[in-house]
Amino acid sequence: MEWLIKRAEELAGKHGVDYYEIRLVKVTSRRLVMSNGQLRELSSNSELGIGARAFNGTWGFSSANDRERFEKAIETAMKIAKLSRGDAEIYLGEPVRDEVELKVKKPFTEVDIEEKLSLVKEIDGLLRGEKIVSRTVNYGDSIVETFYFNSLGSEIRTVVPRIRLGFSVTAKENGEMQDFWKSFGGTLGWELIEGIDLHYWTAHVKEKALELLRASSPPSGEMDVIADPELTGVFIHEALGHAVEADSVKNGDSILAGRLGEKIAVEGLNVVDDPTLPGKFGSYPYDDEGIKAKRVEIIKDGVLVSYLNDRETAEYFGLEPNGHARAESYSHQPLVRMGNTYVEPGDWSFEEILEEVKNGLYMLGDKGGEVDTANGTFTFGAKLGYIVENGEITEPVRDVALSGKILDVLKNIMTIGNDTRVEFPGYCGKGQWVPVDDGGPHILTRALVGGLR
Amino acid sequence: MIEAVERLVKLLESENVEWEVFYQFGRSGSFRIERETLERSQRKFYSGIGLRVGLKGRLGFSYITGLHPGEEELKKLVERAVKLAKISEVPFRGFPAGERVNRVKGIYDRAIDEIPFEEAHRLALEYAELMREKKGEETLSGSLSLAVGTSGVVNSNGIELEERSTYMGVSAYAVLSEPPGTGSYRQSFTSLQPVEELERAVEKAIDEARLSARARKLEPYSGELVLEPNALASIMEVFLSNLYGDEVYHGRSRFSKPGEVIGDFSLVDDSTLPELPGSYSFDGEGTPGQRTLLVEDGTVRNFLLDHTYASFLGMESTGNALRTFRSVPYIGTSNLILEPGEESLEDYEGVIVRKVFGEHTANPVSGDFSLTVELGYVVENGELKPFKDNMLVGNVFELLRTLKPGRKAERISSFVSPRGLVEGRLV
Repeated sequence: MEWLIKRAEELAGKHGVDYYEIRLVKVTSRRLVMSNGQLRELSSNSELGIGARAFNGTWGFSSANDRERFEKAIETAMKIAKLSRGDAEIYLGEPVRDEVELKVKKPFTEVDIEEKLSLVKEIDGLLRGEKIVSRTVNYGDSIVETFYFNSLGSEIRTVVPRIRLGFSVTAKENGEMQDFWKSFGGTLGWELIEGIDLHYWTAHVKEKALELLRASSPPSGEMDVIADPELTGVFIHEALGHAVEADSVKNGDSILAGRLGEKIAVEGLNVVDDPTLPGKFGSYPYDDEGIKAKRVEIIKDGVLVSYLNDRETAEYFGLEPNGHARAESYSHQPLVRMGNTYVEPGDWSFEEILEEVKNGLYMLGDKGGEVDTANGTFTFGAKLGYIVENGEITEPVRDVALSGKILDVLKNIMTIGNDTRVEFPGYCGKGQWVPVDDGGPHILTRALVGGLR
Repeated sequence: MIEAVERLVKLLESENVEWEVFYQFGRSGSFRIERETLERSQRKFYSGIGLRVGLKGRLGFSYITGLHPGEEELKKLVERAVKLAKISEVPFRGFPAGERVNRVKGIYDRAIDEIPFEEAHRLALEYAELMREKKGEETLSGSLSLAVGTSGVVNSNGIELEERSTYMGVSAYAVLSEPPGTGSYRQSFTSLQPVEELERAVEKAIDEARLSARARKLEPYSGELVLEPNALASIMEVFLSNLYGDEVYHGRSRFSKPGEVIGDFSLVDDSTLPELPGSYSFDGEGTPGQRTLLVEDGTVRNFLLDHTYASFLGMESTGNALRTFRSVPYIGTSNLILEPGEESLEDYEGVIVRKVFGEHTANPVSGDFSLTVELGYVVENGELKPFKDNMLVGNVFELLRTLKPGRKAERISSFVSPRGLVEGRLV
């Protein structure tokens, strides 16, 4: 590494570049996929690449994965920066020298691939059942080793392990088909797998798929909806998270621009993004600009108090840098992203929330979502639900997408439960994919339900 | 064949295995414009070699990055792939044998391959300048990218193919605030486009943002409506996994064999069309590109297949094995074409939906979808009343049963489709 650090310094001198940062990333990953007892993929791979950025009032970036091109990538980034010249500014700060390895109890690298294969087979066997026409099990783990250095003299080494397991079934009856699935994941070791009650969860997934076969579509229109902790997670990710990513705000692409300090949500609503939570899927020690990850209070008692930021937007908005610049890989430039986003607990029990609903829905699970941050409209999907009448849970309803307006829906939250959970790993797309987690308590709000009734 | 691949092939020939080498190398330059200012410029290089090995009915796969491996690295690549073939239990159904490949025209443009980075950068600056000229109240952003890539397949059945192609992508995005409105435009090409194409992108985005800012929510509506190609692309995305050979084989599709009648339209996957960004002469396994009738006059005729799933289903590969050197082949579309029909929909008066979003929240297995309307409009006596924020809800199999394609097709990157008349519902 020393020669590369030195070489970068020389090249910066030659090209007159003030600031640059370089990431050398080694990824080692394993993946197993099985459908209906048949293995579809078993892979074990490793790769090393470089991503180099240089700043000259605007960013130049270059990446390569052929070792013979590493030096050229650094020089290319610098040449581009010189060519570009803009008038933006970035937060620099003090140099950081650190080494962080996210610790796990039982490294998955010490579990051989045969054992992982037998896990996948065991789950496949457990997923068998009447009316189950398709089963899929997906296991993956990866270790990302990053060496980050910049022209300030920062040198940061991080090791981030990440593990995930997911399984799904498709049920079929009388020409109707439905599926259901469950995912687990974290910056954890094999202990994640050992902690899963496979019998319970495989039975749960089958039961819900069959339940969906019997369920009818929910009604449509705007109505009261109780979201479970998993649905609250995707709700807050879409309704708030993306619109507070400071790059969107700066670029005029967020309806929350210019609203810092403004009351945009109900009293008592507190929303946090915290990449430092131990073991969560969206956790990381340093971001991809070498800034230490920080817990950020986004909404405090209904008031918008901060944006998630990177070096450039922290400077632009005069905010404290909070380490939310993340890149999908060495060949991507960091963007402002979420880590683990969640709603903090309120003081309602689930039973009390239920009693509030005369006529509405109780919707559960995360089917993903999407947001148009400039228009302020978002969509989020639930995996299944129930009709609620006079505080009672009645008939089941199918999966459905819901929609809302950012500025209305955060004010329409009527009650906030006391049962926050952040354990719903997933990948968030913004032109690049990064692992995230989200969650919250049960909440009661109003949303447009896209049912077929 | 590149030198590293030649060396790898020599190593493989001394092993008692069937093998396939897939390699790629290329570069791209891309430019991001925010608030009419060029903010991020990048130039990326990539290369790598993927190796599939078949041994006693089992498949092993591994890859390396770069094209300058030492002898030791190549030996280890072979060892890893062979070892995985021994333990993996992934069934191996053989590799394709060489068939005649007809070269698709117009997928490589020397002008893109040879453009100096400085010139591409100047074009991006010109694009930003053009945004500043054309803007009104809008905030404009966008991107421009140019890429060239080569991919090659060599296997133990004698296939030895290589192809180079180029790509140009343009996008523009316009935002209005108070009242909020957004407009976007996205297109891709295989050849370098004149500046008029950039102008068109900006104009389309601005027009759409102005329409969007005027849009209000529509009262719930149920009945005949027209989907523009953009909205049809979203609907097709919900439906399409039902035609993927792997989904069919694993029981996750509505269909288990061709023959079912699902409506009255024709849907084609065609990788042989000249100058289209989804075209290729051969797929990621060396199977020649082809025109595949997926749905003919409403009847399902074929699925999207690679060699493996074609073999499982007792069918022929349709040349839809997509690939990167990092992965084994996966099934996907090349260019998807909804064939034009008889309906005259250009001057349609009534409810028209232009764009929807959230298709990944839909359920391709049950067919249920509820998509947020990004923009639609009602035409009355030639006058446009835009709407947004409603949801387009329904079941994709029921909706497609009512689909009547219009006459005039439009291309959105590798999707070619006319407008379509459907029975639909907005809530």
